[in-house]
Amino acid sequence: MRLNMHKFYKTSWFAFGLTVATLSQQVTAKADWPMFRGPNAGSVGIDSKLPTKFGGEAKENIAWRTELPGRSVGGVIVVGDQAITTSSSGMDQRRLHLISVNSKDGAIRWQQEFVARGRPFCHPTSANAAPTPASDGKHVFAFYSSNDIACVDLEGNLVWYRSLSTDFPKAGNDVGMSSSPVVLDGVCVVQIECQGDSFAAGLNAEDGKVLWKLDRPKQANWSSPTIVKMLDGQQVIVMQSSEDLLAVEPKSGKVLWKKELRCSTIPSSFAAEGKLFVPAGGLTAYDLSSVGTGPSKLWDNNKLSSNACSPLVVGKSVYTISRTVLACGDLFTGESKWQTRLADAKSIWSSPVVAGNNLYVFSDDGRCFVVELGDKEGKVVATNELGEAVLGSPAVSGNAMYVRGVSSLWKIAEK
Amino acid sequence: MLVRLKTRTIRRAAIFAVGFSISATVLDPVDVRADGSLDSIKVLQTLTSGDDSAVVASNAIKQLSKANDVTLIQSLTAMKGATAVGRNWLSGLANSLYRKSGKSQTAELTKFLADASQDGEARYLVFQWLTTNNDVLRKELLAKMNQDSSPELRFLAIDEAMKVKLESKDLSVLLDAARHPSQVVSIIEKLKELGVTIDQSKQLGFLPEWRLIGPFDNVGTANFDKVFPVETDWAKGVVKDEYQGKTEAVTWKQHTTAEPAGVVDLAELYNKEKGCIIYAAAEFDSEKDQDAEVRLGCINGNKIWVNGKLVLSNEVYHTGAQIDQYAEPIRLKAGKNQILVKVCQNEQKEQWAQDYKFQVRICDSTGKAILTKGR
Repeated sequence: MRLNMHKFYKTSWFAFGLTVATLSQQVTAKADWPMFRGPNAGSVGIDSKLPTKFGGEAKENIAWRTELPGRSVGGVIVVGDQAITTSSSGMDQRRLHLISVNSKDGAIRWQQEFVARGRPFCHPTSANAAPTPASDGKHVFAFYSSNDIACVDLEGNLVWYRSLSTDFPKAGNDVGMSSSPVVLDGVCVVQIECQGDSFAAGLNAEDGKVLWKLDRPKQANWSSPTIVKMLDGQQVIVMQSSEDLLAVEPKSGKVLWKKELRCSTIPSSFAAEGKLFVPAGGLTAYDLSSVGTGPSKLWDNNKLSSNACSPLVVGKSVYTISRTVLACGDLFTGESKWQTRLADAKSIWSSPVVAGNNLYVFSDDGRCFVVELGDKEGKVVATNELGEAVLGSPAVSGNAMYVRGVSSLWKIAEK
Repeated sequence: MLVRLKTRTIRRAAIFAVGFSISATVLDPVDVRADGSLDSIKVLQTLTSGDDSAVVASNAIKQLSKANDVTLIQSLTAMKGATAVGRNWLSGLANSLYRKSGKSQTAELTKFLADASQDGEARYLVFQWLTTNNDVLRKELLAKMNQDSSPELRFLAIDEAMKVKLESKDLSVLLDAARHPSQVVSIIEKLKELGVTIDQSKQLGFLPEWRLIGPFDNVGTANFDKVFPVETDWAKGVVKDEYQGKTEAVTWKQHTTAEPAGVVDLAELYNKEKGCIIYAAAEFDSEKDQDAEVRLGCINGNKIWVNGKLVLSNEVYHTGAQIDQYAEPIRLKAGKNQILVKVCQNEQKEQWAQDYKFQVRICDSTGKAILTKGR
């Protein structure tokens, strides 16, 4: 293990009593999966039981598949008995869809539709519908690469809509944006970082008013904000960029702490076991309990790198994927434990999820590698083919996995 | 249909207080008689941007939901003449109303779709509702829509028509109808397979003739906003033959691009120079005074002036490029119009950051080429 090259600068800290709680995986078999990577961004449905074999010509353990309009490279969320996702379609992918599907039978429950008022352009492999929607259990927030954002209630009725590119015309990136929103304490937080109007903002969940706006580095960034729960119960929003790592108070946008750090700009950070794990070249772990002096670095390991997928923690191990290599490290020391190449995998953009003791990760050709996680090794126990490109991260709810393919939504569950 | 509502929802005074000017002529003369709902609809129609706008609109849509007296057709009709932001609010309202009662209004919706004077985005919405799970109807409707006033419906219709093998005569009809560059290019390729050659650059209205000068200094991407003498002289119409460039005196060079999409490859013409600026000037001879659009594709930092007026400015490097990436309305005067493009290259070393090129076309607001006189 070697500290990678990033410079640490003096950390500005504010005394907010940053005692940090140990985050345990709070997902239960029946819980919602309300945003990108699920509750606490943990990506883990620890009590869920999923089939290891599914798909293929026999359509084994496919509960249903629902074709949706247009395309998406984002993920899906689960709120109650609704699986909710976005699409973009039509000329230049300007048509923006928000779609709720009945989780029991795959029937479309409601749809909303808008037209992109910001720049809809993106790389051919991406889509305007790239961010994963988010929900606070009362509203659903749909955000798109074109910086259009809509909030609907759980019946699909429009609550509010904003064209952030109308307000900030230079916001955008013609490769395509993909940062997913998070919602916390009645505030929907978006991170729009690009070479033009580059900012993060907190929008009032009830009416869309911009409660705060924070100027951000003028560099492209596709990573997503992350909710981090502190030991005293305070929840903060952590954001990363190619220049910094910072935490903000969700209601005010007040910067609680900030570090100058060259973070990765595609995979996102997350917190677990009182530590903040930050993709930054390799993986860097911070001790969130170091009150008053900022999150002090515990370790880093450049062999635990992530090019696109966000890392996750299960038990006493942290897992990362670089290209097609799944790596496991010790949660407390950062020492590498093992790595496994996912043989014949194509590009992997979809962040993995864990159910029980198995990790599920999709390559972009729609093959899902199921890896049994052990302390000494990761064993690929199954490779499943959906036959459809998958670039978004799945959701796990109950004993089912919901997978957003580029053109359809799948429910995978033991039959 | 007459609808009465006893409670007013949004007061005009409150609306004006947050900076809206509501035009009484915006709302189409639909049969809305409920004062409160009428005001709320007007609020949605006239929305611009900003926080106040969002909050007022959020209240307005709540009132409309409570009042429950605006019909689906009224919400769709109101999209005509509404602002771009307002149309999305109204679309949101219409989607909710369609879920409640739309399936019983097929006749009204069919009539609405057939009315080309209605808002194109509203008609597209209706088209989707009517044709969900009805591929026969979809094809039947699209067969008549390749000249539709809605760019989106026209795009769908041409896409559908292209799915079958066509004779050159039919392709020529589609070429005349097509506005989106991807469809124009696709039709030209199919015509070529049938032995018919079309000048793609001309068909799309790309400017092939340029005078280029540079490189000027942009080391450290410091000079995107620096006003070099070329800019000031060009604005005055007194351009010199020679200027001090990045390292030496530079002169204008004539360049004609034969690239079908009008691409001028500055990396090739200027020896892959990095940290630099090139100016490109073109003259456009317009038949008449007319509204037009200048459309630019450029992966580098860029500015465009038309007749001395700055119309585009994008300090963005290497984040994608395509035809019509940037578009801006302009006013062409009859006779000679002067176009100046500033193209800025940075110093990134990655292989994918070496492109240094641009393409400009002049067209109407639908994307149909407007050609310089004599072309």
